[in-house]
Amino acid sequence: MRLFFELAARSFRRTLTYRIATLAGLITNIFFGLIRSSVLVALFGQQSEVSGYTVTSIITYTGLSQALIAYLMLFGWYDLMDGVHTGEISTQLLKPLSLFRYWLAHDLGRAIAHLFLRGVSIMLIYELMFDLTYPKDLGHWLALLVSLFFAWWLSMVWRFLVNLAAFWSPNAQGFGRLLFFAANFFSGFMMPLGLFPDWLQTLCYLTPFPYMINVVIEIYLNIITGSELFFLLGLQLVWILGLSLISQFILTMGIRKLAIAGG
Amino acid sequence: MESIIRVDGLAKHFSVRKHYKGRFAPLKNFFTREASTVKAVDDLNFEINPGELVGYLGPNGAGKSTTLKMLTGLLVPSHGEVRVSGFNPWKERKAYVRHIGAVFGQRTTLWWDLPVVESLELLKYVYHIPEARFRENLSHFIDLLELSPFLGTPVRALSLGQRMRADLCAALLHDPRLLFLDEPTIGLDVVAKERIRDFIKYLNQERKTTVILTTHDLADVQKLCQRIMIIDQGKLLFDGGLERLQERFGGKRQLIVDFAEHYPDVHVAQAQLKDYQNRRAIYEFDRRELSASELIGQVSSQFQIQDLTVREPDIEATIRNIYEKQLLKVPET
Ligand SMILES: Nc1ncnc2c1ncn2[C@@H]1O[C@H](COP(=O)(O)OP(=O)(O)O)[C@@H](O)[C@H]1O
Ligand SMILES: [Mg+2]
Repeated sequence: MRLFFELAARSFRRTLTYRIATLAGLITNIFFGLIRSSVLVALFGQQSEVSGYTVTSIITYTGLSQALIAYLMLFGWYDLMDGVHTGEISTQLLKPLSLFRYWLAHDLGRAIAHLFLRGVSIMLIYELMFDLTYPKDLGHWLALLVSLFFAWWLSMVWRFLVNLAAFWSPNAQGFGRLLFFAANFFSGFMMPLGLFPDWLQTLCYLTPFPYMINVVIEIYLNIITGSELFFLLGLQLVWILGLSLISQFILTMGIRKLAIAGG
Repeated sequence: MESIIRVDGLAKHFSVRKHYKGRFAPLKNFFTREASTVKAVDDLNFEINPGELVGYLGPNGAGKSTTLKMLTGLLVPSHGEVRVSGFNPWKERKAYVRHIGAVFGQRTTLWWDLPVVESLELLKYVYHIPEARFRENLSHFIDLLELSPFLGTPVRALSLGQRMRADLCAALLHDPRLLFLDEPTIGLDVVAKERIRDFIKYLNQERKTTVILTTHDLADVQKLCQRIMIIDQGKLLFDGGLERLQERFGGKRQLIVDFAEHYPDVHVAQAQLKDYQNRRAIYEFDRRELSASELIGQVSSQFQIQDLTVREPDIEATIRNIYEKQLLKVPET
């Protein structure tokens, strides 16, 4: 546990050292947030509400989804893949560490730094420019925090799983790019899932992806409330545990494969 | 003494897919799965005792790194057995690695963007090192490796030599009994090499750490290693002391004599006169035929000597000789 904390703390500090990259990322995220919000608002036209979304909440939605980009590394994470391909992974295998927990701790430190540097900061800037919706009471704020944490955890386990492809293929990065792109569609990052036709929404909710983004956003926007809220938090956890088990299993196979084929 | 490393019939064969070249190469590469086998390591047998400092030599591609990877649990052997400190390195990797230290050449275990000291401090938690022991080791290694000037510098800003020193420190904070070093001095300048050699010597002599190192720098071997193993094409060709290596494969020794006065002819019976100028003569002789003292006796009985030195054959030349002339084809026992 102490090791987990120390790892996360270092990763947090490491992320803080990338000042220029952070600033550049922040500006880009805000810029595209503005474009996305103006497109969506234009689509609303004269209507004041579409599928439960108001103009205010759709603007908040664009802010939130942009604010989650860095926190959840929505455009891809390839550190583990790189480690496998360069052989850097051997330095970790030579330590008495669980590779899975190592990367989890590492990503937690990074995520917390990004949550503030490129999450909260985006929402603050949005607040200065627009009217926004907020969670309606303390309970919703708490639920939001929990679901945000679960969303990170689930996204990390998912990204880890994708990265494991590197043990089997030197071209795993292309495969990863495709999967991360697909995830952004099914998660509600590109469009709120509420605006999708019902059958497509149902399809999306059969995957883990809405539990990374759409659920968090709908809790924030007070669309998910009451017992449904607990149910969805529970499902987030179920996906986390399920994907964790699969990841650990595949990781063991991957390490074995590497140790036979050579690094 | 109970050996710390035991290797029996160890082999590692890699299967490498054939890659075609030419017009239809991409198609062929896609549809065929023809593989050829590379015998990186082939039937190694040896034991290493606690406290030994072994130099593992061989030309590029000989199988040195592959051997070390099997000894550290990173690779599964194709055949044979490895036991290190009672562990099967591959099968019990997580428990085993706690007891060893390893530095693989250019690969760093330190955090690239953080000050060196942060990576070192982290190891206290990775290995669960007791606080007092950790402080003691850390301050000791900081002194010996002269790390203090750059403890606060991010690793990416270190020179190669500084990084290697920091990595050595990182590999040793948990008091491993066994240290594996793959090319620890590669690419370093003379001063940095010297520092690292001194440190390895200290570990072996004072802390009784068993060390196995691969290197291309024969000065490393000459200064450090009591025992040498030479491997080529995956086979162990020589295993023994430096002296025995020189005896068997070394070139000739030289006796350099400065005479007190000029003699027209300074030939002696058993040695060959290589050069004679300005009262300085260089004799070459074979250690199997003649000892240095016998030769000195012969020369001094006939001439007045002012000064003399015996020059041993260069180990670099000896080893080059072995590779080039393939003196060691059959594994010797
Ligand atoms: N993962 C691998 N796949 C295929 N061949 C390999 C692999 N690793 C090493 N080899 C081959 O095995 C031989 C020994 O390599 P290595 O142990 O790295 O040699 P050394 O360290 O002595 O230079 C070389 O021919 C090398 O090309
Ligand atoms: Mg090598």
